[in-house]
Amino acid sequence: MIVTFPHLGNTYIAVKALFDALEINYVIPPLGNKKALELGSLYSPEEICLPFKIMIGNYLQSIEKGADTIIIVGSTGPCRFGEYCELQMNILKKLGYKLEFIVIDSPNDIGKDEFLRRISRISSDSNKGLYGKLKAVKNALKIISIIDNIESKAHHLAGFEVNKGECKNLLHSCKKDLARCINIEEMFYISKQYEEKLKKVKIDKNKNPLKIAIMGEIYTILEPFSNLYIEDKLMEYGVSTKRGLTPSWWVKNTVLSTLNLNSLDIKKASKKYLPLYIGGHAKECIGEAVIAQKEGYDGAIQIFPMGCMPEIVSKSILPSISKDKNFPIMTLVVDEMTGEAGYVTRIEAFIDLLERRKKEHVLSRG
Amino acid sequence: MKVGVPKGLLYYKYHPFICSFLNELGAEIITSEDTNKSILDQGVKYCTDEACLPIKIFHGHVAAIKDKCDVMIIPRIMQLKKREFICPKFCGLPEMIMNSIPDMPDVIGSPIYAYSEEKLFQWVNEVGHKITKSNTKIQKAFTNALKEYNNFNCGIKNENFKFNVALVGHPYNIYDSFSNMNIIKKLNTLGIGVVTEEYVEGECIDNEIKKLFKKPFWSFARNSYGFSTYLIDNKKINGIIYISSFACGIDSVVIELIKDRIGEFPFLILKIDEHTGEAGIDTRIEAFQDMLERRMKL
Repeated sequence: MIVTFPHLGNTYIAVKALFDALEINYVIPPLGNKKALELGSLYSPEEICLPFKIMIGNYLQSIEKGADTIIIVGSTGPCRFGEYCELQMNILKKLGYKLEFIVIDSPNDIGKDEFLRRISRISSDSNKGLYGKLKAVKNALKIISIIDNIESKAHHLAGFEVNKGECKNLLHSCKKDLARCINIEEMFYISKQYEEKLKKVKIDKNKNPLKIAIMGEIYTILEPFSNLYIEDKLMEYGVSTKRGLTPSWWVKNTVLSTLNLNSLDIKKASKKYLPLYIGGHAKECIGEAVIAQKEGYDGAIQIFPMGCMPEIVSKSILPSISKDKNFPIMTLVVDEMTGEAGYVTRIEAFIDLLERRKKEHVLSRG
Repeated sequence: MKVGVPKGLLYYKYHPFICSFLNELGAEIITSEDTNKSILDQGVKYCTDEACLPIKIFHGHVAAIKDKCDVMIIPRIMQLKKREFICPKFCGLPEMIMNSIPDMPDVIGSPIYAYSEEKLFQWVNEVGHKITKSNTKIQKAFTNALKEYNNFNCGIKNENFKFNVALVGHPYNIYDSFSNMNIIKKLNTLGIGVVTEEYVEGECIDNEIKKLFKKPFWSFARNSYGFSTYLIDNKKINGIIYISSFACGIDSVVIELIKDRIGEFPFLILKIDEHTGEAGIDTRIEAFQDMLERRMKL
């Protein structure tokens, strides 16, 4: 059994750590690339959303490298993501591949036994004992929260750095080095080093950079290829960014949601505008816009794939927040046809607007 | 008291229930006209661009009656069956409306869970108390409204036509003759009779659904899939016509599921949006009819 899985931001590093520790054979699909998107768009239904298409591309490129088993998480709606597995199975079957799909659905829906059967389908391939397996999971969770932490620090510091591009380069080489590690101890060691390096980045404390929060549909904000590397672009512009949704947030949120103790701050902040969970991460998007304004951010960018149902609802609510709080919010809709030039122009114009507003604020204070 | 009920989305399915209930409580019901060009234009004007046609039309209906009523009912239908959902846009419908249309009257937008009578009554009770204080009156009106609804069948089943096709799609796309450009009449003049999902037993739909790897979690998906595959397997129809709004998330999945299952069976997908040209639709259904004719001769 050679396992593969679709990309989602930095999760591949954690999954790599997990499978290395469990000694399961795996293939990491090549990082986001045009070929994957082209392949995906070719074989996917036309009107399905962008994440689906990139994922199909990921699978096909992994299959080329020998993968024969695909692991994907499921959900039970109301967002489309929960139906991905069935369609993707059909598509790959029609293309003539003999693959096994392991869909990790919530035990509430498929029953506890079926859930455990599916988990054991993966874990039975490992020779490790129960203790070793649990330790591997624990370490994988630890490493993902470390990376998320390094990433968010780098995004924040990018606005203050003296030598332009330092944070961005550090972040990229950090991810590259981590992906090269052979075991978890090495990962911990390397991430520690990068944490130190980040602390030593020369910063100008007197700078007052633009601060932008990024929110929206989880796949398109986590997977840099799908949003045309917006966070890298903003780092180059010397903008400090923040993104609330991360893989480690997702894990924490999923675990806590069983006790209904998840993301209390978001629930509180979004109550006025969207009191109910409507699927996807629409409520998180609204909550984060409100929180970002409170924290003194200059603006926010919402990103979602064309046709995303929950985010369309939040898109129609965001203008009210923008009006009520005098807080600029821009929405970017991405799909396989998104042209980079138009996209960059919009981001630049938004930054110009925020800069002008900032200057006016300074003047009005005297 | 004047209660506004916009004539969009699932109004076509549930209006006997809500109208009978409000009538019995003595409220004056204000409904919008049937969908027309000006309602569509209003909807397009107010609604967020990315939304689908039915949602835009609903915005138009709301805008048309917002100044005429004291309170408006915007149905936030969360679930019709246990463990099944409606589209996420339904769950956030009141928010979409309130944040896009200015000067709205009072809105009743509490969530509706219709999988059991008790759950549904929670919503009914809340609406009722805006109009009357009497609990017995509400209870009685609720019982009668349910009866009214159970006696009502909005479905269509044409008889004695040369061809029979299954007309599949969300109820508001099928029964809103403006947005689908009177498709049923058009088909009938071409000698094609239609049948809608209301004429297939829930049990048959459930049996079809069991053949899927994963049970679909949308009520729309479940109905459309089960309905069309059941009719094909039992050889009751000559073709399927699927009316789907552009960029509908649910349809993008269901259509693929149906396609995978039916192989070479005649399947026409009509996409509708606010720009749909009538000539294009005509050409496509005529071509479909030609194809059915040819298949019959084979």
